[in-house]
Amino acid sequence: MKISFLLNNREIELDVPSDRRVVDLLREDLALTGTKEGCGAGECGACTILVNGKSRLSCLMLAAQLEGCSVTTIEGLSPGDALHPVQEAFIEHGAVQCGFCTPGMVIAAVDLLRRTPDPDRPAIRRGLSGNLCRCTGYQKIIDAVEDTSRRRGKGKAS
Amino acid sequence: MKNAKNGILEIGKATPRADARGKVTGAEKYAADYYGDQLLWAGVKRAGIPHARIKGMELEGARNHPGVLAVLTCRDVRGSNRQGVIRQDQPVLVDDKVRHCGDAVALVVAEDRPALAKALDLIAVEYEPLPGVFDMETALKPGAVLVHEDNAEGNVLLKGELKTGRGEAALTECDVEVTAFFEVPRQEHAYLETEGGVALLREDGTLEIVVSTQTPFRDRAEVAKALGLDLEKIRILAPYCGGAFGGKDGITVQTLLGLAALHCPGRPIKMQWRREESFLAGVKRHHGRLHYRLGAKADGTLHALDAEIYYDTGPYDHLGGAVLALGLEHAGGPYRIPHTRLRGWSVYTNNPLGGAFRGFGVPQVAAAMEQMMDMAAARLGVSPLEMRLKNAVRRGDKNPVGVTLTSSTGVHECLALLAGQELWQERETWKAAARSFRLRGVGLACVMHGMGYGPLVPDCGNAKIEITEQGVFRIFSGVVDMGQGNAATYLQIAGSILNQDGDHLELVQPDTGKALPSGSASASRTTYTFGNALIGAALALKERIVRRAAALVENSGGGEDFTMAPGALVHRPTGQLIPLPQVARILDEAERISVFTFQAPVAAERPTADQNLQLHGIPHRIFSYGAHLACVEIDELTGKVEVKHYCAVSDCGSIINPQIVEQQIQGGIAQGLGYALSEDFIVENGRMATPDLSAYIIPTAMDIPDLGTFAVELPEETGPFGLKGAGEISMDGPLPALANAVADACGVRLFRYPLTAERVLQALAEKRGEGTGP
Amino acid sequence: MSHVFLPPDLDRLWNILEENPGALLYAGGTDLLVRLRQNPLKPPSLVCLERIEELHGVRERGEEVFIGACATHTGLLADAIIRDNFPVLVKGLACLGSPPIRNMGTIGGNICTASPAGDALPPLYTLDAGLEIRSRNSSRRMALTDFILGPGKTSLQQGEILAGVWLNRHPPFAIHHFEKVGQRNALAISLVSLAALLTVSAPGIIERVRLAWGSVAPTVATSAAVEAMLTGRPLSRETMDSAIPLIGDAISPISDTRATARYRRTVAGNLLLRLIEVDRRCK
Repeated sequence: MKISFLLNNREIELDVPSDRRVVDLLREDLALTGTKEGCGAGECGACTILVNGKSRLSCLMLAAQLEGCSVTTIEGLSPGDALHPVQEAFIEHGAVQCGFCTPGMVIAAVDLLRRTPDPDRPAIRRGLSGNLCRCTGYQKIIDAVEDTSRRRGKGKAS
Repeated sequence: MKNAKNGILEIGKATPRADARGKVTGAEKYAADYYGDQLLWAGVKRAGIPHARIKGMELEGARNHPGVLAVLTCRDVRGSNRQGVIRQDQPVLVDDKVRHCGDAVALVVAEDRPALAKALDLIAVEYEPLPGVFDMETALKPGAVLVHEDNAEGNVLLKGELKTGRGEAALTECDVEVTAFFEVPRQEHAYLETEGGVALLREDGTLEIVVSTQTPFRDRAEVAKALGLDLEKIRILAPYCGGAFGGKDGITVQTLLGLAALHCPGRPIKMQWRREESFLAGVKRHHGRLHYRLGAKADGTLHALDAEIYYDTGPYDHLGGAVLALGLEHAGGPYRIPHTRLRGWSVYTNNPLGGAFRGFGVPQVAAAMEQMMDMAAARLGVSPLEMRLKNAVRRGDKNPVGVTLTSSTGVHECLALLAGQELWQERETWKAAARSFRLRGVGLACVMHGMGYGPLVPDCGNAKIEITEQGVFRIFSGVVDMGQGNAATYLQIAGSILNQDGDHLELVQPDTGKALPSGSASASRTTYTFGNALIGAALALKERIVRRAAALVENSGGGEDFTMAPGALVHRPTGQLIPLPQVARILDEAERISVFTFQAPVAAERPTADQNLQLHGIPHRIFSYGAHLACVEIDELTGKVEVKHYCAVSDCGSIINPQIVEQQIQGGIAQGLGYALSEDFIVENGRMATPDLSAYIIPTAMDIPDLGTFAVELPEETGPFGLKGAGEISMDGPLPALANAVADACGVRLFRYPLTAERVLQALAEKRGEGTGP
Repeated sequence: MSHVFLPPDLDRLWNILEENPGALLYAGGTDLLVRLRQNPLKPPSLVCLERIEELHGVRERGEEVFIGACATHTGLLADAIIRDNFPVLVKGLACLGSPPIRNMGTIGGNICTASPAGDALPPLYTLDAGLEIRSRNSSRRMALTDFILGPGKTSLQQGEILAGVWLNRHPPFAIHHFEKVGQRNALAISLVSLAALLTVSAPGIIERVRLAWGSVAPTVATSAAVEAMLTGRPLSRETMDSAIPLIGDAISPISDTRATARYRRTVAGNLLLRLIEVDRRCK
């Protein structure tokens, strides 16, 4: 079926099977391999993307559902070479090890900070609890998100 | 890989990892992200039965299915059809019989995934089921069903015995003796990136495999032998792994992909295991059964230890012998025990494959030994800390296998730092503050971890660094970065020696066509061994560059007058800058490259004459140490254990990048907490009962508390900038620390793990005398 | 290959259902698409309900509140009407799955999946939820307790959908409590859960109580006997100890790799003891 949607702020039209998983469509048809697949069953969060600004699991969405939506993947989180503040913080705080959970984790953090402007550490843990990480023990990820929030708060205050 | 934004890379400075940018933007390509034009898909028909002979296979339906290019069986394999690191006993595709549910019986190559899935479904295999052997006791009995009929030792892959002093006989000389039996679970690696890769047989006959692996050079040799190929015709490329932890230490998809490529030349072929397939066919941490007897004198001095350990290695030698050997060597922990008898068996069964997993046989024995220490301390009426301080090894002491510790030995320093922590000092106050229906406890564990390959297998790094015509230093990494950050550390090492920033350094991921063989990414060795080699290579290159630069400046006064700066050389007396590209251009191609070999030193003593045990790694020379502290709260109504605070002090030598060491320590603790609390790869009659991430429970961000991590930073003289291994040590502590904390909270000890809510609730009920509520 | 329909309204839905017998319905996909992954047989067609406006939103209707079946858990957690009136539901939804699962999963999906471990269900049982079932030509109300027949089994007929949930606006209980025991603190399937509504008088007497347990029977378990035993008695350890033995008749837990029946049975009782603590904390 033909679908059209906004992908990383770009209009896109595709002819794909309506039951193609969104994760496959992104990775294989559109070469956006920043979105990872870790389980295919909603248990790990590696395939998290933003659909109309909210985090969703692209392994549990079918192509037909994208019609008319605005989709943001890790590749489109910030324009050009610039980094999103969450990405900057992940680098600075050492929140990245193997990095395979990272794109999904970053997207989840962006969604969390949009919903919850000033989350404390338990709220950050909760907000990221759908994204498994096997390398970090989460601590530096929490540090990074906490710091992003703090800096944003300061930016607003000044 | 370019290193953006960093200044000059310095040793000892917390530096954001060079690989982080590519990973946070999604730009970094893992093996899973390789596709290719005209891509084909390969997949495996798994046995699904634990022990059986294959009577027949119906393949025509699959072969005739549209879009299917090849359906292959063992008959299509021209080489040995065997893989394995020490004993090569695992078939690429089953020939004689099926030995576990995850065995590969047929390989299919198809145009797309739907055709592949359908074809795999159409393959019908007729089995003659054989009685299976699913527990170690049965496997070791005379007359047991044999997993390998041709193995002279029956179902024993490796057995070993180490003895010091008067061995177990000295137990009779002890004032107190404690005895216990422990059972530790299988643990699944659960790396986020499942096993996968892409292979291509090129027109010139070169087989190229891009694969998520820890061992590209060894893979090349294994693929060559198994498939009957010339080693020179195989090239393995190893991008960053999306996690590995030992589970990619050896062959996963490599031989299968190679076989597929040989039958479908000229087109890239991709194989990516589904999560369920990764669980089914991938290796696990060994399920272990451990019998311990520990004796001490009345003054608290440890006197004798008798340990008997059994590891279920599944049907093949996926390093299962080496895992047992490291377990034996660490069975007595970081203590002086003059009389020991340590015996171990690595046992073949028809269960899932046991193999390498961060810790490599040590978490199991640490779980036992560290609880024995608490039990002995309780009998002697001393605190767990005193008990450890009294017996912990110092440099120059002999360890429990009788080998003199000649390298840095910081266990006392770790314990001392831990003892000063508020969590330890104020523990009684903290415990007393528990709410209703809550019990609190505090537990310690003290651990050590050997680094490298042991005495017989040369532990070598061969570094190669090049200055390009553009004046950029290019490191050809010989050791895979599976997430531990060694690639970034290599850049830091080279940057520090050559005084360069990230813009003038790059790193090429391991590629057997470009890098030099430098061993596996394992055994806490990656930065120690390759880092030492890289220091040599970088220093030699620096000397060459400076010497040649001197020729460019009149009356330069020789090399000593030059300093390196990012992208340039500075002639100090005149302040003249010579851009690196200018120097690079006067070097010929061969001169621009510098290589250096480092071989790790080995222990001088041999605690055993058993050559086989030596081959499997006994003894080690250099150890890292750690002391862990866990504070837990138990819900009396549910039995649930919550880790409220956790802190670890580590002796990993001097530190090159504190951020990366913290990552390693925190990550290992998290895996260890999962191992202690919820991770249990359950197998019933050879079949997995926890087939995916909804049933096999790894910790989420809500299950791990903030972790306090400290380092004592004793320099290891032989290490690069004083470093020693940090990759595994933190995995060894959490289970015993938690088990000791739970015992402290409950007043009763649990001997089976993980410490599930159900087990804890049951233990509490038994302690109260069945039936009554909390 | 399955064709996926995405009807924008109910009229189009009814047409699709008539033209595609055997079509499977989903809203968030967090259950159905996981199950289909394990199943090599693809259904001929799938119908995604997420775009049907009539099935969304929370609306007050007199003394009742209507929750559209396609309301997501995240949406409900943020909804003022739900937060003000049904804290027990908020507590249940807050520990369901994970943030992305809550962003996708819907209350209707949790009900139609009919798992005894569905985290929205025990709260809805205690709230006496009614369901609105619609087909092209009819609309009927039925009690949630009558709708769920067993694990994965509901009384939904061919051509019918669950349109939404009706709740009484002011449940007459002062304490809303929900506790889930899982194998970890997020992304967990409940081993046992308890939803409890109660009102305790000033001297500590239980005036009214509703209880519902998850994961200890083929469907959510309730016990009139336990509720009767507790009513009019002090909220104390003694009262709870005397009520716990009665739970046994209301539940029939199973053993699986997550926990044994025995554990589920014990904990189903123990969770009542928490109510003593909850009341103390409320004061």
